[in-house]
Amino acid sequence: MLLLDIKNLTIELETPDGLIRAVDRVSLSLKEGETRGLVGESGSGKSLIAKAIVGVLNRRWRIHADRFSWLGQDLLRLSSEQRRKIIGRDIAMIYQEPSRSLDPTAAIADQLEEAIPSELLEGSWWQRPFLRRKRAIALLHKVGIRDHKAILQSYPFQLSEGLCQKVMIAMAIAKNPKLLIADEPTTALESTTQAQLFRLLASFNQLRGMSVLLISHELESVARYTQNLSVLYCGQLVESGETSNILSQPFHPYTDALVKSVPEFQPELAPKAPLYALPGSIPTLQHLPIGCRLGPRCPNARKECVKTPMQERLQNHFYSCHFPLQYKAEK
Amino acid sequence: MRKFRLYFEEQHRSPLAQLWREFARQHSALFGLALFSSFLLLSLVAPFITPHDPYLQADNLLLLPPSWSEQGLVQYPFGTDDLGRDLLSRLLKGTTFTFGLALVTVIGALLAGLALGALAGMSQGMKSSFFNHLLDLILTIPSLLLAIIIVAVLGPGLANTAWAVSLALLPQFVHGIRNAINEQLKKDYVTAYRLDGANNWQVLTRLIIPNIWEKIIVMSSMALSTAILDIAALGFLSLGAQAPIPEWGAMISDSLDLIYLAPASVAIPGLLIFAAVLSVNLVGDGLKTAMQRRRES
Amino acid sequence: MINFLLRRLFLLGTVLFGLSLLAFSLGYLFPGDPLQNFSGIRQLEPQLRAELTAAYRLDHSYLSQYLAFLNRLWHGDWGLSLASQQPLLSEIRQVLPATIELTSYALLVSFLFGVPLGILAAIKPEGYLGKIINTITVAGYSLPVFWWALLLIMVFSVGLGWFPSGGRLGVLYEIPTVSGFMLVDIFLAETPYQQVILLDALRHLALPTVVLATFPTTVMIRFVRDAMLEVWEQNYIKTAKAKGLSRLQVLYRHGLRNALLPVIRQIGLQFSALITLAMLTEVIFSWPGIGRWLLDSIYQRNFPAIQAGLMIISVLVITVNMLTEILHTFFNPLARKR
Repeated sequence: MLLLDIKNLTIELETPDGLIRAVDRVSLSLKEGETRGLVGESGSGKSLIAKAIVGVLNRRWRIHADRFSWLGQDLLRLSSEQRRKIIGRDIAMIYQEPSRSLDPTAAIADQLEEAIPSELLEGSWWQRPFLRRKRAIALLHKVGIRDHKAILQSYPFQLSEGLCQKVMIAMAIAKNPKLLIADEPTTALESTTQAQLFRLLASFNQLRGMSVLLISHELESVARYTQNLSVLYCGQLVESGETSNILSQPFHPYTDALVKSVPEFQPELAPKAPLYALPGSIPTLQHLPIGCRLGPRCPNARKECVKTPMQERLQNHFYSCHFPLQYKAEK
Repeated sequence: MRKFRLYFEEQHRSPLAQLWREFARQHSALFGLALFSSFLLLSLVAPFITPHDPYLQADNLLLLPPSWSEQGLVQYPFGTDDLGRDLLSRLLKGTTFTFGLALVTVIGALLAGLALGALAGMSQGMKSSFFNHLLDLILTIPSLLLAIIIVAVLGPGLANTAWAVSLALLPQFVHGIRNAINEQLKKDYVTAYRLDGANNWQVLTRLIIPNIWEKIIVMSSMALSTAILDIAALGFLSLGAQAPIPEWGAMISDSLDLIYLAPASVAIPGLLIFAAVLSVNLVGDGLKTAMQRRRES
Repeated sequence: MINFLLRRLFLLGTVLFGLSLLAFSLGYLFPGDPLQNFSGIRQLEPQLRAELTAAYRLDHSYLSQYLAFLNRLWHGDWGLSLASQQPLLSEIRQVLPATIELTSYALLVSFLFGVPLGILAAIKPEGYLGKIINTITVAGYSLPVFWWALLLIMVFSVGLGWFPSGGRLGVLYEIPTVSGFMLVDIFLAETPYQQVILLDALRHLALPTVVLATFPTTVMIRFVRDAMLEVWEQNYIKTAKAKGLSRLQVLYRHGLRNALLPVIRQIGLQFSALITLAMLTEVIFSWPGIGRWLLDSIYQRNFPAIQAGLMIISVLVITVNMLTEILHTFFNPLARKR
C-alpha cells in the first residue's frame, strides 16, 4: 500500500492582486521504505508541498487535490485535530536552518524528551522520567553524538549547525515515524557534515525501513542517496521516476539542462568547456507563463506549449512535455 | 472601489505611497488622522473663531449651565465658569496652548535630539561611551518628574513649562535617534558609501536620515502624546500655565472646587485632552502597523 | 554570571555618582541662599551660619563641598525640611512606604490582567476579541490620569458611594505604624476589629489602584500581544507543532517563556513612568505618599525637601531597573552569553 498518495495537488496564494498558483497539479507517491528526492530551484514550490503534507501552512494558502491521502486516509477531509494526531504519529520533518527550529530558551534535553511519545515507553508512570532520559541518550548515540552529557545540558545557541541538525534528526526519529521529510537539510552545513548527514539518513532508511522524502536544490547529493526522483520547475512536476533512469535518459528539457549543468554527471566534459545552462531565469510569481512554465526558456518550445502538457508515462518514468527528448545524443 | 483593469499591469508604488495605502486601510488610523488634523487646524485658527473673548469676564452670567439644560443659553454652548467666561471659547483657545504648545515642544526636542543624537551616533570611542552613560542616567528619571524639577528651578509659567517639557523629552529622542543611527551604521550600504569616498556629513544627510525618518516620526508621535499629557499635568498641578490662561489642565484644576455644581467644566476639558492624546496614539499606531505591513508584502 | 553582576554594580555606582552630582548642583540652581538649601534651617544666626559654612566647607572649592555633601548623605544627615524643620530622612521614611505599596499593587494588577489579556489578543489578532481589546488598550493609555481619577471618583465615590474618595484608612481606625505598609500593619496590629479594618483599607485602596494600574495594564497588554505575535511566527513554534503538540501545549511550553522574557524588562521600565502617575494619583486621592509630599514641597518652595525627594525617587527607580535587568538575565539563557 502506498504511504503517501498525492494526485494533482494545487496550492494557491491569495494576494491583493488575485490568486497565484504556486504549485500546479503536482502528483507524488511514496511506498514504504522508499527514498524519494524532490529537486527544483528555489521558488519551485518544493517546501510548500512539504509544508502542505505536514499541515503547517497558514490560512492564506489554499490547497486542492484530487487525492491527498496518507495510508489511505484523505488528509484534506480530516479536522485539524485528527490530522495533527496522524501526522504527529507517523511523519517527521527536519528543516533548513536547524538552530532556528529549536526553542532558544529551552535546553536540548527538554526539547528532545518532549519529542518522545509516551506510548513508546514501557514501564509504570513513576519510571517514566528515567526511561525518557535513557531513550534520549540512546537517540543521540544513534545520530552519532557520543558526548551526550554536554549536549543535553546546552542550549541551541551553543551548538554548531551540524550538531543542531543531528539533534533535529534525533527528535524526528524519536517517534519511529514511517516517513521523514528532509527540507533542504544540508544547506546551512559544511560539506563534511553534509556527507555524514546523508549517510545517516540512508542508514535509517535501510535499517528501520523509514521512507525519506529528500527535498533539495542540489542534484548531486539527491541523486546519490535516493531511489526515485521528482523534478519540479516553477510549481509544475516536470519529470519523475527512478533516479538512475532519469539521470541516464532525461525526457524533459529542464531535467536535461539540470543534468548537464552538474559537472559530476558528465565524465567526457572537456577542460575549460562552457557548462550548459538554459537562458533566462525563473519567472516571478506575478508573471507566471500560461501552459508549460518552462516555455519562454525552453530550447524546444513550440506553439503547442501554451497548453499545459498532461503527464505521460513510459515504463515507470513519468514526464510532462509535448516534445520530450527521445534519446541522448550518441557519444 | 477597485479600478477597472483590462490588462494586468504591475503597479510599482513608491514606499511612501505604499505606506499611505496600508495606513488608509485601517479605519482607526484614519479616524485618528481626521481627529488630529482637526485639532491641528483648531490650534492655528482658534484665536480667530472664538465666539467670545476667552478672557472676558461677565459678572452677570456666572456659572451658567451648558446650553442643553433649561437655564442654559445658546450663546454660551458649554456654559460659563465661575468668573463668567465662556467655556467654549476657553476650550478653543486652550487647543493652542495644550495641543499647539505640545507640538512646538516636540519639534524643538526633535531638532535638538537630531543634532545631539547624530553627534552621539556618529562618534565612536571614549567620547561616545561617556555620552551614552550620561544618557542612560538621565533616562532613568521619568519625564514628568524631570519637568517638575525644572519648573521648580525656573518657576511656574507657560514658557518655563515649554522649556521643561522640551528638555524632559530630549533624552528619549537622543536615545532613540542614536540607536537608529547605530543600527544603520552597521549596514553594508553605509560601508559601500564610505568606500566610495563619502565623508561623515554626506553619509548622515544622504543615507542615514532618509532611512530613519520613519522611525523618527513614530518616536515623535509617542513623544507628542507624552508632551500633551505632561503639559496638561503641569497645568493641573498649577505648576504650568497660570490663571487666566485657558490651558486645558489648568482649567480642570480651576474648576475642581466646583465639581458638584458644574461637572461639565471639569469633564469637558479632560475629554478634550483624552481626545487629543487618543488621536495622536491612533495615528502613531496606524503608522507602526502600516510600516510593518508594508515590510511584509 | 559573576562578571555580569560586577559590571552591573559598577554601572549602578556610576549612575548613583552622577545622580549625587545632579542633586548637589541643585543646591546652587535653586533660588535662595545655598546654605539654606543644603541645611534646611530657616533661621540662620551669624554664629550658626559660620559653623555650618565650616562644616559644609562652603568656603572651599566645589570639590571639597561636594565631598562634604557625600559625607553627609552617607551619615544620614540629609538636612531639615524648610517647612517642618524635621530631619528629612525620617519624614521620607514615613511617606515612602505608602507609595511603594500603592505602586506595587498597581504593578501586580497590571501583570495579572495584562498578560492573559495580551495573550488572548494575540491568539486571533483579526477577530472580534482582538479588536475590542485593542480599542480598550488604546483608549486606556490615552487617558490623562488625573481626569480618569476624577471621573471614577464622581461615579463610584460620589455617585454610587461604593468607595471612599480619599485617604488610606477611615478616620475611625488607628493602626500603629510598624512597617509603613498598611495591609502588613493591619495584620500585625492586635485589635479585635481586624476584619473590619482590613475591609476598610481595601476599599480605600481600590480606586487609587485601579486608576494607577490603567496605564501599565494597557501598555502590558499591548506589549505582550506584540511579543506573542512575533514569537508565534518563529520556526521553533512550527517545529513544536509538527512534533504533534496541541496548540495549548505549544503556547504554554514554548511560546510563553520566549514571549514573556522581554516583558520582565518592560516591567522595570514601567516603574519609572508609574512613579509620576503615582504622584498625580496621590494628589487627587490625598494618599499620604512621597509623591504628594514632593509636590507639597514644590508648592512651598521647600528646596532641601525637593532635593531629597528627587534623590530618593531616582534611587528607587534605578534600583528597580537594575533588579529587573538582573532578573531578565537570570531567566534568559541568551543574555548570559554576553
